[in-house]
Amino acid sequence: MQKRLLLLALLIALVALVAACGGGAEPTSAPEAKAAEPTQPATQAPAAEPTKAEAKAPTTEKIRVAIVLPSTVTDMAWSQAIYDALVRLQAKRGGPEAMEIAYTENMWNVTDAAAAIRDYASEGYDLVIAHGTQYGTSLFEIAPDFPDTSFAWGTATDTGEEQGLTNIFAYEARAEEGGFVNGVLAAHMSKSNVLGVVGPVEAGDAKLYIDGFEAGARYAKPDIQVNISYTGSFGDTALAAEAANTHIQAGADVLTGSAQQVVGAIGVAKEKGVLWLGTQSDQSPLAPEIVVASQLYDWEGVLADMLAKREAGQNGGAAYALTLANGGLYMDYRDGLSEEAVAAGKEVEKQIVAGELDVMAIIGGEQVTPPAPKTETGMEYPEIAPIRIAVVLPSTISDLAWSQSIFDSLKALQEHYGEDVIEIAYTENMWNVTDAAAAIRDYAAEGYNLVIAHGAQYGTSLFELAPDFPDTSFAWGTTTNTGAEEGVTNVFAYEPRADQGGYVLGVIAAHLTQSRIVGLVGPVDAGDAKLHVDGFVAGVHAVDPDIQVNVSFTGSFGDTALAAEAANTHIQAGADVLAGSAQQVAGAIGVAKEKGVPWLGIQADQTPLAPDVVMATALYDWRPALLKMITDHQAGKLGGEVLQLTLANGGQKMIYHENLPEDVIQAAEAAVQGIIDGSIVIEPEPR
Amino acid sequence: MSENLTAAVILLGIIHSGIRLATPYLYAALGETIAQRSGVLNLGVDGIMLMGAFSSFYVVFKTENPWLGLLAAIVVGMGMGLLMSVVSITFQAEQGISGIGLYMFGLGLSSLLFKTMLGTVEGVQGFSELRFCLTDSFCLADVPVVGKVLFSHSLLTYGAFALVPILLWVLNKTTWGLKIRAAGQNPEAADSLGVSVAAVRYASVTFGSMLAGVAGASLSISLLNIFQENMTNGMGFIAVALVYFGSWSPLGVLVGALLFSSVNALQLWVQVLDLNIPSDVAVMLPYLLTIIALALPFRRAAQPAALTKPFSRGEN
Repeated sequence: MQKRLLLLALLIALVALVAACGGGAEPTSAPEAKAAEPTQPATQAPAAEPTKAEAKAPTTEKIRVAIVLPSTVTDMAWSQAIYDALVRLQAKRGGPEAMEIAYTENMWNVTDAAAAIRDYASEGYDLVIAHGTQYGTSLFEIAPDFPDTSFAWGTATDTGEEQGLTNIFAYEARAEEGGFVNGVLAAHMSKSNVLGVVGPVEAGDAKLYIDGFEAGARYAKPDIQVNISYTGSFGDTALAAEAANTHIQAGADVLTGSAQQVVGAIGVAKEKGVLWLGTQSDQSPLAPEIVVASQLYDWEGVLADMLAKREAGQNGGAAYALTLANGGLYMDYRDGLSEEAVAAGKEVEKQIVAGELDVMAIIGGEQVTPPAPKTETGMEYPEIAPIRIAVVLPSTISDLAWSQSIFDSLKALQEHYGEDVIEIAYTENMWNVTDAAAAIRDYAAEGYNLVIAHGAQYGTSLFELAPDFPDTSFAWGTTTNTGAEEGVTNVFAYEPRADQGGYVLGVIAAHLTQSRIVGLVGPVDAGDAKLHVDGFVAGVHAVDPDIQVNVSFTGSFGDTALAAEAANTHIQAGADVLAGSAQQVAGAIGVAKEKGVPWLGIQADQTPLAPDVVMATALYDWRPALLKMITDHQAGKLGGEVLQLTLANGGQKMIYHENLPEDVIQAAEAAVQGIIDGSIVIEPEPR
Repeated sequence: MSENLTAAVILLGIIHSGIRLATPYLYAALGETIAQRSGVLNLGVDGIMLMGAFSSFYVVFKTENPWLGLLAAIVVGMGMGLLMSVVSITFQAEQGISGIGLYMFGLGLSSLLFKTMLGTVEGVQGFSELRFCLTDSFCLADVPVVGKVLFSHSLLTYGAFALVPILLWVLNKTTWGLKIRAAGQNPEAADSLGVSVAAVRYASVTFGSMLAGVAGASLSISLLNIFQENMTNGMGFIAVALVYFGSWSPLGVLVGALLFSSVNALQLWVQVLDLNIPSDVAVMLPYLLTIIALALPFRRAAQPAALTKPFSRGEN
């Protein structure tokens, strides 16, 4: 956190500095004298903006390029690839005298990036590049204000022509082409027949690359297993390292991945001696012995063409794609590859270049039979205005259960929208309802727009204080009561239908058990824990009514030691599959791990605690429900809605362990489908 | 319930669970017994346990050496005890309130350290279960019936039970024990005989807190091998109640801790066996038992007369 703040402060200082320079000594590059020497410093201030339009700088004139980057110029990935190209182009054009480069790094916050883009444009840079899909909306707002400036952005194909914009270039990298070649190489290098992919977010450039990789691997070896995981972030190095570890544990002996996060994964690959295939930028300096091949992006040609077009009087309107055929992408084969692999890689590369092999078509064909859905599915993010959200939690944000699940979702939303769009405040460990009520009231009084009381026990207090803050939205759960009967209008209610996830877990448990006894470690027989138990028991018995489900409650959400003891008791009673809910289960999972008993989790992903025994998780994804509350609030509807987290609406997702047998996953997925289409109705059994 | 589950299996299961579950309660309650016998009520046990749990976990996480982890818990427990001593003995603050303060301090600090130094719940390899192998092929843990129940616990569990006779002997048979009892029963008399009441109480509270730290360690590096924020979940307060339950005697504490954890183990079996008793009732059992035991009238008599009363020379 401190580091980010420091970075932010530095950035602000940098922007301020750039602004100061631009305003003073070095004005725009539009002098009247067209035939100026390239070496001549352009120091005369132009009279006014409009004169610049006519005075297009010719090739001999110093050209000024600014770029806004989501990560750093040393990220060994997306940002570094284009920055290196700019530096090469600068050298070709005659050095800093002929071409000026300005850049702003780490613009993960889109609003900050928009400010930087506007600053550069108003300082008179000729070409301002917004190097990220996320900057598009802002760019289209800014571009009309600077008709004489050229803008560029990517990954994109939209130059804003439909909106009447003429000064925007769009660019994309057809990453699936090199991804396909890398996939072929991986398939030839792998001995275990298992490949691991450490993806960032399933979108844009990364998705293209990974789709291509998978298709390439299957093209070379149809029976190969490609395990794909997404970290949900471009920069989470630690998580990427963990993902790499997980892949290796699951048997992968060749790894790949994209975005700046992969630095962490490459570190792991190096340590474990597993081969790595790179993309975007050259990652071999990091681990020369294991980075055996890379797809490299060369933006130089695209950039040079943009400048040439501008100098010819065309400010934008062209869309570029880096391909193997046009040299924007090229393969770097290194020593560690076998001759056979290189030959196969070069062969498909040749076919792609010649147009004989259509990677997109292969990907399309593959997708007719999609593999089991992964954790990361398409999320729709509507436009939202800045909002302040406070949440009061009964346990901690790292409880691996109830509280963590909603906090992680809030964090994910904040990561998507930026910290200045979504502000999050939280209070943990509010097991005392009176304290919680005070915290809720404080947050409302401090002007938070949405105050979430994350526990059924807070309801009474909430209904008392909600009428005092008619402009604030409140939310609570597990419940379906919005207080409408009491005349309260500004309270949302939410309820994770844990019986759905529980049912699927029950189906899995029934398939996994040999002893035909399954143990469940519950906290208190109420709320979502009760739903979970109801669904779980129903799921087990749907497969086989004779399987015995032993249910025990510890009477507490946080009694880790007792939960551990409950797990021990279940095992002694013959259970060979365990499940449970609430933060207490950390203790039970510890026992499951020690005894090697499969564990089925719910709420948050408990895999990190025991990667080998957590076989499946019904993950709560609060993002759709939270977004609904936010958009409702901003549309003037402050409450009164009951929001459910279901499998159908994406509020619950199944995560399966790699070692879970294929037929079990299929049975589980069938249950998911049945619940979604309504053919499975979960009837709680009397307990 | 399956037919193969005989009553013996259940009974042994309960005893096995009860012994294991009693470990943290025993350490914490025995330590509290010593502190209270010297006249200081330390309500901060839970906070000290959390600090002990975190520090030992972190050290094991970094060094993979459970002994260093145990040492960390001892040092941190003693540090917390000294803090409690300074506040309640030197500055004579109200003991109940300063204890609660210490608890909150421990709870908050352990959470903060967890967040900044670990961030997520991790696992370690702490003290493992012993098997008492006499030869390569013969282990006491494999003896039918009693082997698993008695000979497959971790070292810290045996340590907790070993403390009971040791403390019993120290309290009742040694000069030190006499001084501790005197400081709690009649500090003026002790003072008049040249015993430094403050020094005795300092030592007792620090020793008691050290055991609370070890109690925390027994959770995080022996029973569970994880650390989670607020993982004691109020065990320290149960431990204080067990001291009252056990009439300020190590033996009484042992009986109380075993009873409490065995009933807890029993209630789990009650649920697993599906005896048609609502889980809420099962969960209530151990607490119900505690309340009944505490309500028995004769127990109060054993309370140290000067408990919670600060002592200052010459004022009384």
